[in-house]
Amino acid sequence: MMGWLDFLFRKKIAKTAFVKAYEALFAKNIPDQRPISQLSFTVLDTETTGLDVKKDYIVSFGAVKVKGYRLQLNQSKEVYLNTPIQKADALKVHEILYPIEISPLRDFAEDFLKYVSNDIIVGHHIGFDLGMLEKLLKQYGLRSLLNPVIDTQALAMRLEKGPHYDPRMGKRGEFALDALCERYGIALDDRHTAAGDAFLTAQLLMKLLKLAEQKGIRTYGALV
Amino acid sequence: MSNVIVNRVKEFLNRFPPFHFLDEKILMSVAKAVEIRYFGAGEYLFQKGDPAQDFFFVLREGSIHLIEQEANEGKIVEVCDEGDVFGVLALLGKRPYILNALVKEDSLVYAIPVAIFEKVLQENSRVSLYFAAGFASGQVVVRRDLSQGQKARSELKEGSKDNGLLIFTGQSDMNFSKDVLCVFQGTSIGDAAKAMAEKGVGSVVITDDSRFPVGIITDKDLRNRVVAKGLSNDVKVEAVMTTPVITKRKDAGFAHLYLTMIKNRLHHLIFTEDGTEQSPVTGILSDHDILLSQGNSPAVLINALMNTWEVSEMAKVRDRAELLLKYYLENEVAMDFVANIISEINDIIIQRAVQLAKQKHDSEHPEAAKIKFCFLSLGSEGREEQLLRTDLDNAIVYEDVPAEKEAAVRKYLLLIAEEVIEILLACGFQACPADMMANNPEWCQSLSQWKWYFSDWILSPNQKALMHATIFFDFRPVFGHRSLSDAMTEHIYQEISGKSVFLNFLAKNALLNPAPLGFFKNFIVEKSGEHRDKFDIKLRAMMPLTDMGRLLVLSHRVVGINNTFKRFEKIAELEPNHRELMLEAGKAYEILMRMRAIEGLRSGNSGRYIQPEALGKLQRQLLKNAFAPIDELQQVMRVRFQLDYFNS
Repeated sequence: MMGWLDFLFRKKIAKTAFVKAYEALFAKNIPDQRPISQLSFTVLDTETTGLDVKKDYIVSFGAVKVKGYRLQLNQSKEVYLNTPIQKADALKVHEILYPIEISPLRDFAEDFLKYVSNDIIVGHHIGFDLGMLEKLLKQYGLRSLLNPVIDTQALAMRLEKGPHYDPRMGKRGEFALDALCERYGIALDDRHTAAGDAFLTAQLLMKLLKLAEQKGIRTYGALV
Repeated sequence: MSNVIVNRVKEFLNRFPPFHFLDEKILMSVAKAVEIRYFGAGEYLFQKGDPAQDFFFVLREGSIHLIEQEANEGKIVEVCDEGDVFGVLALLGKRPYILNALVKEDSLVYAIPVAIFEKVLQENSRVSLYFAAGFASGQVVVRRDLSQGQKARSELKEGSKDNGLLIFTGQSDMNFSKDVLCVFQGTSIGDAAKAMAEKGVGSVVITDDSRFPVGIITDKDLRNRVVAKGLSNDVKVEAVMTTPVITKRKDAGFAHLYLTMIKNRLHHLIFTEDGTEQSPVTGILSDHDILLSQGNSPAVLINALMNTWEVSEMAKVRDRAELLLKYYLENEVAMDFVANIISEINDIIIQRAVQLAKQKHDSEHPEAAKIKFCFLSLGSEGREEQLLRTDLDNAIVYEDVPAEKEAAVRKYLLLIAEEVIEILLACGFQACPADMMANNPEWCQSLSQWKWYFSDWILSPNQKALMHATIFFDFRPVFGHRSLSDAMTEHIYQEISGKSVFLNFLAKNALLNPAPLGFFKNFIVEKSGEHRDKFDIKLRAMMPLTDMGRLLVLSHRVVGINNTFKRFEKIAELEPNHRELMLEAGKAYEILMRMRAIEGLRSGNSGRYIQPEALGKLQRQLLKNAFAPIDELQQVMRVRFQLDYFNS
């Protein structure tokens, strides 16, 4: 269905009001000297029907907010989406067994942009999630997400191996979320839910930020 | 909000007190309000004097030290680890913090809003008791009230078991007669007695025409009210029966029935169809039935011991006593009662063993058998604290005899001692590894020799010798001539007066093992060998207390109190300025005894080595609280006996 819509509206998709409101948030950049403890992060993860951004869709979305090394549970988010194709395989892998309320895509798009606001978006291997999210948001007129982005995988590599590290040199899986959680002493309980992984990633982020501060990376400018 | 994440937090909280007392719904609402905070090593969560935050804390992961700051020095009051609750002053008193919370290792902390918990505190008595008992970390500044702790422990126990009188057997084991001998009103006493004789029963129920019970006559009534009074057999039963009768339904529950009988001093309780007197008789329960159904009550066990000369039978009874012990421990029966009962049973076994030995050997040694001697229990059995059948420590003292008779007497007594030890081993006791037993010629001695031993220990003390000798100061006569042991006690106190150097040595011994305050991460566990990573509760916690209890009674020249916790109670009387500390020390000892015994029963050994991780959170906290008075008492001893200036 989306491919079909894309074809029709490729040239010009009208921006919805909530997209405009979102874009307006970025009139001003975050000042470089802002300390890490003052930065707002939205740590997110998505579970999808597959690994192909073109063909696959988001099944569920989970996110938490971190600011000043604090994470409030009542600000956490967990959404299950009304995807065009529900691949049984994906559901099997992710074992989404909770009685879930399915959100219509449009509601999700609006809520998501409001929620993420102008926070720094954080995720593990975040490029893929961003690609999936942008594809979903495109139909409401969003060209691309404007938030600064931190990939915890890249951050961990940078902190552990230095800024010029070539990931191809390392061991496979050395910087996968599982491996990092183990290395940083974060209990892996139920993985493979978007919210669960976002929660793990948030804990990893807090540990990495502390480590960054110890290494002299103390401000927004130094971090991003 | 994310259910996945909230559930994860909820599940963590649910593993620890006081959260696991909350029901699902309330715990969920608490979890939803949690704020997760991350702290790097070296940071402070709060510092002394900071105003109370709107949160209290649960350590999710990492390590946090609560530190009491005095001038420039910081003293670690507590080491928090996973699941520890701290910073609760904010919750309880809204006072500024009195400790520093220093992050030792990077730590993830769950901050729980006070607002949400205040409601929980009001509604859940178990949760408020948890805080009242000082189980949360950092509450140590106020002296912990261990009795609150004990109370809390019994109330916070998992799953409330029946604490009633159903001591060992299920109700199904309760036997009573369904076939009740009844006679109608108007029957003569003679006929009633005849019916009782024919049926071979000790009681008869008198009924009206509807077969509703109106009275009862027992063997005792016939003796007291008929024969002794000289009444004729023709008198009607109404004249002597006990009336009205107390009736119950037979399914009223053992505890209830038993209590009814105890309260009303009944020997017989009548069951009727609907439980009232206005209903037909369906059965009768006698106190004898109760006794039988309580197969392991102390009275029954002691009775069984008194009625056998079979060692194998004695061993069985002692095994059954272990079940009794287990029940008592699990149900928080007062420790002095438990210790008394078990000591009584142990004493009877020892007494029977000596008697058995005498029966076997006296005839062959008619002359030597006339010797007056006393069998002494030493160490924990001497202190009436031996709950489990751990090491035997005992000795024999005999009256002084002319030199020419000495050899024969010693030969005889060693024979007796050997026999006694064999019987005790057969009853499941363990031999003393240091061989401090009556069958060791060194510890089977005349009164003069014992006096010499004690004088030697007291007048020329030596650290190493004393370490082993201390248990001899806890002797207690179990069988034979008490006067001999009294003479020993008398001698000891005479020798001690004015010999403070001996007390100094004892004190030094008592302080050899500092209280294990830094409990978890720094838990003083055994470093090597079979008991690696286990905590030696006897060496690290109980021995310091027994040593100090002994030291204090000796220094006050108190006679006849052997129990460590009773010793502390006595010292509390004698030293009003240290009253609270002494009482706490006594309670701490009771708690430790109980824990050790439970561990021993659980793992089938002496219970001496406890695995810290295997303890429940509550147990660990209780244990931790029990260490506080040890430390405080050691400091008092250090000053009192001037140990900082005393070098041996």
